[in-house]
Amino acid sequence: MRASLYVRRRRRNAVAMSLSLLATMIGLGWLVLILGALLWQGLSGLSPKVFTEMTPPPGSDGGLLNPIVGSLIMTGLAVLIGTPIGILAGTYMAEYGRYARTTSIVRFINDILLSAPSIIVGLFIYEMAVAPMGHFSALAGALALAVIVVPVVIRTTEDMLLLVPNALREAAAALGMPRAYIIRHVAYRAAKAGIVTGVLLAIARISGETAPLLFTALNNQFWSTNLNAPMASLPAVIFQFALSPYADWQKLAWTGALIITLAVLTLSIVVRVVTGPRRQP
Amino acid sequence: MAMVSAPQVDRVATEKAGMRERISIRKLDFYYGDSRALRAISLPLFDRKVTAFIGPSGCGKSTLLRVLNRMYDLYPNQRAEGEVLFDGANILSPKQDPNLLRARIGMVFQKPTPFPMTIYDNIAFGIRLYERLSKSEVDGRVEESLKRAGLWNEVKDKLQANGLSLSGGQQQRLCIARTVAVRPEVILLDEPCSALDPISTAKIEELIEELKADYTIVIVTHNMQQAARVSEFTAFMYLGELIEFGDTQKIFTKPNDSRTQDYITGRFG
Amino acid sequence: MNEHTVKSFDQELQLLDKKVAQMGGLTERLLAHAFDALERRDPKLAENTVASDRAVDQLERELQEQTILMIARRQPMANDLRHIMTVLKIAGDLERIGDLAKNIAKRALAVSGESHPKSLMTGLKHMVELALHQLKDVLDAYAELDADKALGVWRQDERIDAMYNSIFRELLTYMMEDPRNIGLCTHLLFGAKNIERVGDHTTNIAENVYYLVHGTTLTDDRPKGDDTSSTLIRKE
Repeated sequence: MRASLYVRRRRRNAVAMSLSLLATMIGLGWLVLILGALLWQGLSGLSPKVFTEMTPPPGSDGGLLNPIVGSLIMTGLAVLIGTPIGILAGTYMAEYGRYARTTSIVRFINDILLSAPSIIVGLFIYEMAVAPMGHFSALAGALALAVIVVPVVIRTTEDMLLLVPNALREAAAALGMPRAYIIRHVAYRAAKAGIVTGVLLAIARISGETAPLLFTALNNQFWSTNLNAPMASLPAVIFQFALSPYADWQKLAWTGALIITLAVLTLSIVVRVVTGPRRQP
Repeated sequence: MAMVSAPQVDRVATEKAGMRERISIRKLDFYYGDSRALRAISLPLFDRKVTAFIGPSGCGKSTLLRVLNRMYDLYPNQRAEGEVLFDGANILSPKQDPNLLRARIGMVFQKPTPFPMTIYDNIAFGIRLYERLSKSEVDGRVEESLKRAGLWNEVKDKLQANGLSLSGGQQQRLCIARTVAVRPEVILLDEPCSALDPISTAKIEELIEELKADYTIVIVTHNMQQAARVSEFTAFMYLGELIEFGDTQKIFTKPNDSRTQDYITGRFG
Repeated sequence: MNEHTVKSFDQELQLLDKKVAQMGGLTERLLAHAFDALERRDPKLAENTVASDRAVDQLERELQEQTILMIARRQPMANDLRHIMTVLKIAGDLERIGDLAKNIAKRALAVSGESHPKSLMTGLKHMVELALHQLKDVLDAYAELDADKALGVWRQDERIDAMYNSIFRELLTYMMEDPRNIGLCTHLLFGAKNIERVGDHTTNIAENVYYLVHGTTLTDDRPKGDDTSSTLIRKE
């Protein structure tokens, strides 16, 4: 009697395992295909020229220098603006306002913002910054990216701080430590790796955002580091070049896509390395 | 619901014996939200003696301990009513700064919680909070505290190692060293040995014996034999009330209340 | 009183009490038989009685082992602790009573060939009955945890002491009258002393029962009546 139940269970187990394996292969398969396509198409165009010359008019030789620099500038600025806001808000939610009702409302809204379509963010900043200023600008682009950074950082900061065991805070309080001290020296120190991960994840996220930049920073064929003027960015250039009928532009688009992918990949690996082996014994 | 009359503490006898009441708990009530967890608790804690709180799970002994250093202030829904006099001043009053209070009344918890820093910093951290000392003075205090906790010989060569690299028993002694480093007057121990093996437990009990020469100690423990070994006074609590308080020797050989006797002989429940 | 949560603890305590009762019964019988052997001049009975004391010694050893084991394993507190310590002490007292009875039986063997004067035997018999009564009462007091009964026994030992006094004098007089009586009377004297000691041991047991019930020791001086240590009769 017992044996037949066991056999039935094993059969069911085998079926479930095979289905799971199949699903995994399908999921991984797409990833492999995408990476494969990127490498196939983009690798051949990868040369030092890409990093030293600016975007060319169709038909001539060139590189992706201005969009790369533009992306770096706007991403950097976005992180500079968004990270402090995100960390401070996350700290408030996890430490001071942990049991307040406002916190749960804020958390709810934050989760919505996290998955807000980025084109809406772009339109929003268009209304708020581009229209009053009268022109597109890198600053507006950075602002749009910052709006995407903030919810990510808030979420990870709050989650990481909530992971710090309360016993640690109590132990610090039992020594007579005031709240702010406990947060600075105990909670932050314990959650440091996690918070940094959150920031790096935010960077990875905004590196590939195109829609918000289209309405705010537009694009720029030429070299520009002026924050008050339109600035080139990798995603915008890829958009422009990929849709064009010119073969060399399309090639550059593939190369640009490969560069973004490799950059995000490297960042993720760095995140893993930073947080991984530092686990306590 | 049966009304329990507060047990009489023979204050005259204890004063005659030269014992000073360091902390006086007077008619203390404690609430988690609307539910009352402690009911009219009154008891003395004598200077430089060890007092043990025993009782079944949920009786309120940890709650009572955490009132003594206003730990409940960290949480919104918890409040205390009544008086707890520490050297004459009521520590429950809003005029009392809880951080300054906790610098005078230290606490060691059930699970060892070293900070994520070096062993040296774990101890120096608390010291630097309230005192401005030179590096050599801090070094001296760190050494003194580690010696006091019986940990110096085991860690003196690795003060820069992370506090979390120590064994469970060592971590707990590190927490005790950290508490002692800020020179409190009272030390509260919340089941300090329940996560430890018998040898570490014995070392900590020996530590308590040494520490009580200089500190007033209150210990909450599940282990009755430990309470009997380590304390001079014992308070038995049940369902948020103080059932009996007295000399440890008397409580464990001939308690007054039958509930106390039932609990310590294993007839409870 | 409630039962222990761990049932085997209760079972072990009950086993202890059963053994004490067993030991008490054996001891009572030993004492009674020993005196019978003396009174009826029955050497066979006397020999049997001497041999039977072994069973009492065996029980005492078992009780000692068991109490030590219980202390190691159960870490008894409060009334449980007093209970176990009392069992240990009572076992010791009962074992001594057994030895004293054995001693009486041995002396019965020694004097079985002689004739005993009637008056002396009645005195001794009365003393033994008192002692047996006291032993039974104190064992009942232990079984019922009756401290008042124990107190009663504790106070009554006076009477055995008084009887011992008078027998002592009688025997001395007898010995002084006729030196041929010295042999017999000396044995009877030791026998009487043994019975008086039995009485003292029952008061020990009574004190222990009182401590078991109340947790405090009897500190008053027990009324004592034995002044034989200061008695001397001069030949006129």
